[in-house]
Amino acid sequence: MTAGGVVTALLLSIPAYAETKTVTVWSWFIQSTMNKSIAAFEKEHPDIQVKYVYYNYSPEYITALKAASASGSLPDVIGLQPGSLTQQYRPDLAPLSDKAAASWGASWADKVFPVNRKQMLMGNPQGDSNYYMIPQESQVLCVWYNRKIFEKIGLSVPKTYDDLKAASSALTKAGYIPMFQGASDGWQNENVFLMLANEFSPGIVDKAQAGETPWTAPELVSAMKAWKGLFDDGIFQEGALGAHAYPTGAQLFAQGRVGMIALGSWWMQESKFPPPLSEYVQNMDGFDFFYLPAVPGAPQASPPVGGIDIGYGLTKNGEKNDAAWTFLASLTNGAALQQALNDLNDLPAFDGHSPQGDVSDHVKQMSARFMQDLSKAQNQRFADPKVAEALDNALAGVAAGSLKPEDALATVQKAAASK
Amino acid sequence: MSAPVLGEATIGASGGIRRRSIGPFVNYVFALPALILFLMFVAYPILWVIDESLNPANGAGLSMSAYNAVLADPVFWTALWNMTVWGAITIPVQMAIGGLIAYFIERHTFLLKGFFRTMFFLPVVTSVSVVAIVWVQIYAPYYGVGQEYLKYIGIRMSNSPLGDPHMAIYALIVVNIWQWTGFSMLMYIAGIASLPTEVLDAAKVDGATGWRLGIHVVIPMLAPATRSLLLLGVLGTLQTFPIVQLMTVGGPNHASEVFGTFIFKESFILNDAQKGGALSVIVLVLALALSLIQIFVFGARLAPTKGET
Repeated sequence: MTAGGVVTALLLSIPAYAETKTVTVWSWFIQSTMNKSIAAFEKEHPDIQVKYVYYNYSPEYITALKAASASGSLPDVIGLQPGSLTQQYRPDLAPLSDKAAASWGASWADKVFPVNRKQMLMGNPQGDSNYYMIPQESQVLCVWYNRKIFEKIGLSVPKTYDDLKAASSALTKAGYIPMFQGASDGWQNENVFLMLANEFSPGIVDKAQAGETPWTAPELVSAMKAWKGLFDDGIFQEGALGAHAYPTGAQLFAQGRVGMIALGSWWMQESKFPPPLSEYVQNMDGFDFFYLPAVPGAPQASPPVGGIDIGYGLTKNGEKNDAAWTFLASLTNGAALQQALNDLNDLPAFDGHSPQGDVSDHVKQMSARFMQDLSKAQNQRFADPKVAEALDNALAGVAAGSLKPEDALATVQKAAASK
Repeated sequence: MSAPVLGEATIGASGGIRRRSIGPFVNYVFALPALILFLMFVAYPILWVIDESLNPANGAGLSMSAYNAVLADPVFWTALWNMTVWGAITIPVQMAIGGLIAYFIERHTFLLKGFFRTMFFLPVVTSVSVVAIVWVQIYAPYYGVGQEYLKYIGIRMSNSPLGDPHMAIYALIVVNIWQWTGFSMLMYIAGIASLPTEVLDAAKVDGATGWRLGIHVVIPMLAPATRSLLLLGVLGTLQTFPIVQLMTVGGPNHASEVFGTFIFKESFILNDAQKGGALSVIVLVLALALSLIQIFVFGARLAPTKGET
């Protein structure tokens, strides 16, 4: 080849190279599933390359975001939770309503489950109706139970609190952990408390968050007393306050040593983890779920509680990169999302999607039940981290017996008032 | 012949090699790389945190409000108490157990010396995440490792010490001692290995054996290692974070809160950079004060120097 030919070949190759765009993404979303989503996206968009950086959520992810925000070096797309995390980085995020309308039509938000829509706006300043995050996955909280163990010792799904107590007692006598609670983790305590509070008055936690009801309202005090009852009545395992749901509780539950555990729809993803899987986890054969039965004094069983599991925001850096929105749109409502759903990572945030591929009928049926319940779910999230932190401490204090329910909730009210 | 450049060696009148003075300014040039690194990675972040602690997020100008808020917060005093208890227990206990292990390995173990050194040092190099998972399982009643042993002597745990507000900090201290005793052992092994045998032999000739030899000869001769461990122990106490964060997150209800977890919560969970900054400055001042006190009390010779074991 002559020198002229080499130059010509180089010149021809430059435009092709320059057309490849790169999107940078940070999140705590499971790496193996994200890789599948990225592969599906890149197949659809061969001109875009996605570079994903996985972090553990706490402390790595939140510290990395903070440092990058301070130095103006955030990636194009970041994983977000609704409420405080989104609000913390709102100045770094681009409003997404117009981009979403351009991609999915003006009524796109109607396809997002109502509880998710509410959470997307959570904490926005008054008058700001922009969406700064698009949800990818949703979740519904529930009590999972090991149906094989239940069958083995002659138990049925608890319909009343007495049933729940009797089941816990029978499980304990049979050598199983009754209901595993990782009460060292604030998040699992919050989830159970939300189930209890919504039994006494659906939506009361949202009213308390909005300042329409005090945190010391009688219904919330009753919920707090019921929370203590779960420890005192032997429903949670002994030593629950020093335990963690992950990895301890999840491992014991997967191994068939636990009768029940309060988690959520994301538990289904265990069946997609690499083998070896236990007989219970295989196709979720050993598991099914129910909602917490009415505790003493509560007029009803827990309604579904849930909302956004994870969402994504486009940073001001990413706003300058057209490819970044293209990826975000696919990840939340396109081919990349489908891969996450096929991995049973959780439920979709937009209606109209469902897991496909190698999924058992039992899982499909549970997924459909969750999806049906998601449409009427109560909000799971907190807008103010101070309130969530105060509630975590209140729940731990009451469980440990060092705080009375009324006094504990007064500390939450104080935190809410200090906004 | 050109004039010699600064620092060039010349032959003096007596025939010996004489080095010309290179001047005080050039001496400082050699310190420049270290100085630049210090300014970039130590001084600037400290000044940034101080600035952060004095500037409210609403831009209302310099204010000590964050410091007042920290001092008025009962959690700060809980953390201070926990840190005091932590240091008061872990430092002497680690030294005592580490010193004893070192003494027995070095003086009374002839075979497998390397094996025992490695085994006792293993927890130090084990990931804190692994340590946390293992000890949460040990403490767990009902299904825990500890309970499996305790049941043979008729003890049934009804709660995890990590979930008991009165016990949580002590349960964490036990884990910390377990993990870091190997470090004290290593320091003492280094000290014991360099003890002059003639002094020990002389002491034995004078009739000092057993405990008498240990208390009156060996322990005083290991004072430099002890002083180093004391300084490192105090600083390590103030830096305590991962084991508490992983095992109790400072709970239940702040019962095992330490400065590290408190700063992390305020700065990253509650996003209150000003209060987190104020807390960091207070801890920094405490660390500085405690270090200066030790230097003042023990002198600057905290590490073994030439001729000292």
